[in-house]
Amino acid sequence: MGKTGGYGNMKKVAYNLGYFFREARTLFKIDFFPNIFSIISIGLIFFILALVISGWGISNYIIGIVEKEAEINVYFNDGLQDGEINRLMEDIKRIDGVGKVILVRQDEAYNRMAEILGKEASILELFDDNPFTSFIEVQIQIEEADSILDRLERMEDIDYIRDNKKVIDRLQDIVIILKVLGVLAVIAVGVSTLIVVSHIIRQGIYNNREQINTLELLGAPEFFIGFPFLLEGLFLTLVGGILASLLLILIFKIGYGQMEIALPFIPLPPSESLTINMVFLILAMSGILGIVGSLFGLAKHNINH
Amino acid sequence: MIEAKNISLVYGDGTKALKEVNLHIKRGEIAYITGPSGSGKTSLLKLIMGMEYPTEGSLKVMGQSMVKEQASNIRKLRRNMGPVFQEFKLIKGRTALENIVLGMRFLNFNPKEMEANANKALEKVGLSHKRNSLVEKLSWGESQRIAIARAIARKPSLVLADEPTGNLDIDNALNILDILTSLKDEETTVIITTHATHLIRDREEGLFIRIEEGDLQWERREVMAI
Repeated sequence: MGKTGGYGNMKKVAYNLGYFFREARTLFKIDFFPNIFSIISIGLIFFILALVISGWGISNYIIGIVEKEAEINVYFNDGLQDGEINRLMEDIKRIDGVGKVILVRQDEAYNRMAEILGKEASILELFDDNPFTSFIEVQIQIEEADSILDRLERMEDIDYIRDNKKVIDRLQDIVIILKVLGVLAVIAVGVSTLIVVSHIIRQGIYNNREQINTLELLGAPEFFIGFPFLLEGLFLTLVGGILASLLLILIFKIGYGQMEIALPFIPLPPSESLTINMVFLILAMSGILGIVGSLFGLAKHNINH
Repeated sequence: MIEAKNISLVYGDGTKALKEVNLHIKRGEIAYITGPSGSGKTSLLKLIMGMEYPTEGSLKVMGQSMVKEQASNIRKLRRNMGPVFQEFKLIKGRTALENIVLGMRFLNFNPKEMEANANKALEKVGLSHKRNSLVEKLSWGESQRIAIARAIARKPSLVLADEPTGNLDIDNALNILDILTSLKDEETTVIITTHATHLIRDREEGLFIRIEEGDLQWERREVMAI
């Protein structure tokens, strides 16, 4: 047979690497403009995905903060003496999931409401006496809210409990909607990228069908024929991913700046860690989808006659 | 090397390309297949290469049964073949040298061996000076010789040349035939199809196969050792 035996497959791949990259470059050049448009499309798809995931992440962060600061107000029976109030507060502190327990006296309750009403605070002057009563402010872990409320309701000397659970529940509903939207967006982006990349690869295969046919007739393995196409697909999605990352970094810089000015009281996650995580996610997804999309394109063509 | 027993080939449109052909080609033998255009010469080569499968009978090439179910093994088998196509099938945008080396990249040659084989093959076909020319800039005859160089550089066990002398003047055609027949010294089996019977009529040695309308006749000529 006249061929050198024992020359390892790995070595074959190694000395053909240059060839594979040159071929991938040639494939890219052959369909230059369609490939540029594909990169832009893939970049925008990844950008939209990144925005949805970022929105989801930021909402989760805000909900987390709100949850940590969740509190309920406990109103006790009239006529309780200070000693009895203190004992009640000690009992509340002993409940699992309860954080700080603070007594808000009648005057402070009045002042707080005046502060909330702002310019409209004059309405409070219509009352002859302070209409507010003292209460106990209890910080709780939101996930323990049901059991805490259950325990409080069974306590003596408690007249009424005002919880913010409904607000928290609504926020949690919003998070669930965002999560569903996030998952749908990931699926939509994943499918779109796979379709775009596999279509590009099939187009490349079609444009190079004569060369592929010749290599098949010379006995070239599927891997040898397909690898440059896989590299091309990977290149397209990675460049698309980089484009999306750059856009995202820009949007974060502008968005965070605007938020700090317009809505400074909204707690946002640190922009640096969010950006790094999102860029890492986009690049990882673009790499994976590039490889899978290329393999789909190659499989659909069925190089192996 | 090649064993055909009662093979027939009928194309999808009902055309009978080959009818119950029996053939035995030995290792290291030169086989000339002649016949008018459309007689079935190329069909026989396609069967040997595994580009078509016999509709009847059995065909073995280098011990490999040529049936559709063996497609992946047939693909591997092609790595031991050196095909020269009628339309050359050189890859555009690449130089003559790159085309020859490309035919070896997935075989068991290291880079030095590939280059040495390519240079030797270019020398053999007399086109060393064209090694860096893009194939689309080559003349018809030069392209044909580069296609032959690609085939022989692979050091195959079997060379299949489909009309390698087509469109060449007589001197170049005889030169190509000499190059191909010289491979016999390396124990390579060579199968050449041609409709130019005058080019091979006086050859003293080889298997002379005549195909007409799918029917095959053959004659073996051997030089007696003194």
